[in-house]
Amino acid sequence: MFKDLRSFLKKLEEEGQLVHYHDEVLPEPGIRAIMRGSADLGATGPAVLIHNIKGYKGRKLVVNVHGSWANHAIMLGMPKTASLKEQFFELERRWDKYPGEVKWVTGAPCQEVVLDSFNLLELLPMHKVNEHDGGFYLSKASVVSKDPDEPDNFDKENVGIYRLQVQDANTIAMQGLPFHDIAIQMRKAEAKNEPLPVAICLGVDPMLSFMASTPIAYDLSEYKYNSALTGIPMELTKTTDGFLDVPAGAEYVLEGEILPRVRVPEGPFGEFPGSYSGARQQVVIKVKRVTHRTDPIFENLYLGRPWTEIDTLLGLNTCIPIYKQIKETMPEVKAVNALYQHGLTAIIATDSRFGGYAKSVAFRAASTPHGISYVKNIILVDGDVDPFDLVQVMWAMSTRIRGPQDVIVIPSTPGMPLDPGSEPPGMGCKVIIDATTPVAPEPKMRDVKMVGHIPEAAAFQKIISDLHQKAGCRL
Amino acid sequence: MKCVRCLVGEASVVAKAPDGSGAWEIYKCARCNFGWRSTEPESITDPAKRDPFFQLDKVDLNNLIIPCPIPPLRS
Repeated sequence: MFKDLRSFLKKLEEEGQLVHYHDEVLPEPGIRAIMRGSADLGATGPAVLIHNIKGYKGRKLVVNVHGSWANHAIMLGMPKTASLKEQFFELERRWDKYPGEVKWVTGAPCQEVVLDSFNLLELLPMHKVNEHDGGFYLSKASVVSKDPDEPDNFDKENVGIYRLQVQDANTIAMQGLPFHDIAIQMRKAEAKNEPLPVAICLGVDPMLSFMASTPIAYDLSEYKYNSALTGIPMELTKTTDGFLDVPAGAEYVLEGEILPRVRVPEGPFGEFPGSYSGARQQVVIKVKRVTHRTDPIFENLYLGRPWTEIDTLLGLNTCIPIYKQIKETMPEVKAVNALYQHGLTAIIATDSRFGGYAKSVAFRAASTPHGISYVKNIILVDGDVDPFDLVQVMWAMSTRIRGPQDVIVIPSTPGMPLDPGSEPPGMGCKVIIDATTPVAPEPKMRDVKMVGHIPEAAAFQKIISDLHQKAGCRL
Repeated sequence: MKCVRCLVGEASVVAKAPDGSGAWEIYKCARCNFGWRSTEPESITDPAKRDPFFQLDKVDLNNLIIPCPIPPLRS
């Protein structure tokens, strides 16, 4: 497994999943064109290390690191051909290993160079992620902060990815939404009129980016989860002022603080639903010190019209917590596919204990911590339907749904403010589409028998695939 | 220089190409915080050619949505 970004990039290169781009490229629109193009390569696309950015000679930028399911599988230590369903259940298995061990080191690589004088817009090869963004964004930064009332509670030290607009040499505007963990800490600090120290970590190990964007409970540690999922102790070090814990192997760490009771214009920003959010009044971070590795690599992420790197990064880490939370009380649930726009649409496979049960599963999904604001469209399929196989899901919807009984809209629920369908921003609805087969006491559908699986087919699939390759197929 | 987005604020140079090539400069508006690079296309840098949807010249910045409102001071 990978203790830092560099060791992961090395592995990606060995697996043919990292390419180098050496031709000169303009920051705009060249970099986002590379990001978009690599994302469009789909499930097997590579990461791209960009070496020659006009005006930023000598700076390196890596993009699309989590941009494909192949790279995602390698992050998990699995073969790059592992299916989505296999990756889901492997993650599900490791999830129960929480908490993993963490350890602290001194002389950390992330502090090989310490800068008290810097201009972030010159130090980092910044670029407009989307054409009409209001400025230059860090789109894949892990922000570390502590609970102001419990600074010694390590489990409440938060690591989260939030959009960050670098506005000048040392000023960053940050979007924290009310349901984000950091908003709890901001509120506490601002109520006391105190700054909130933060460390913005760039280029961290791939599983930390994964965990920093996972919706886990406030008092669960992203660092301990990282160790649980990788199987190796997460290596941390203290920021130079000794207050926050940061990944020892990070490429860059920007040390600063959120100013209390200040808001400034920020945005717009092309967001994960594939739409621009408007300009907003957001909190401000003043960066006081930058530390970085020797010859650092800046990592950033493209997001826009799906499918992009963010859809892969936020894919299974959205599915697993929802699945685990439902499964606690509803063991009939088989899997959750919440890959679509951070769970705005979720497909849940479940057996039905009794009539109407699937709709209760939907209510449970809609009331999980993440589901309250995000999970809007909930599609329920039978337990023998693979929710990651959209052909099977469409079949279930095509043949099971009886409109009057199976399609329910609950208006005026919480919504995700960045969803263009959330009006006003923050309000929404729940759409439940029950494509499961009715069980007693609910009346049966017409007396129809579905065609069953053919268990003998798997062996023949292999035989015919081999014959196909011998016949010259190069797929 | 006036901001190309809000048309009111004063924009100044906040960064230059760090390799000394003079390849570009970055400007930032002190009022609406819009940032842009001199090498971006005119559809971004020329107010006459910008998409009106993204202009902030008719917007009271104080009325922008505040996702996380400032809480009352704790006594």
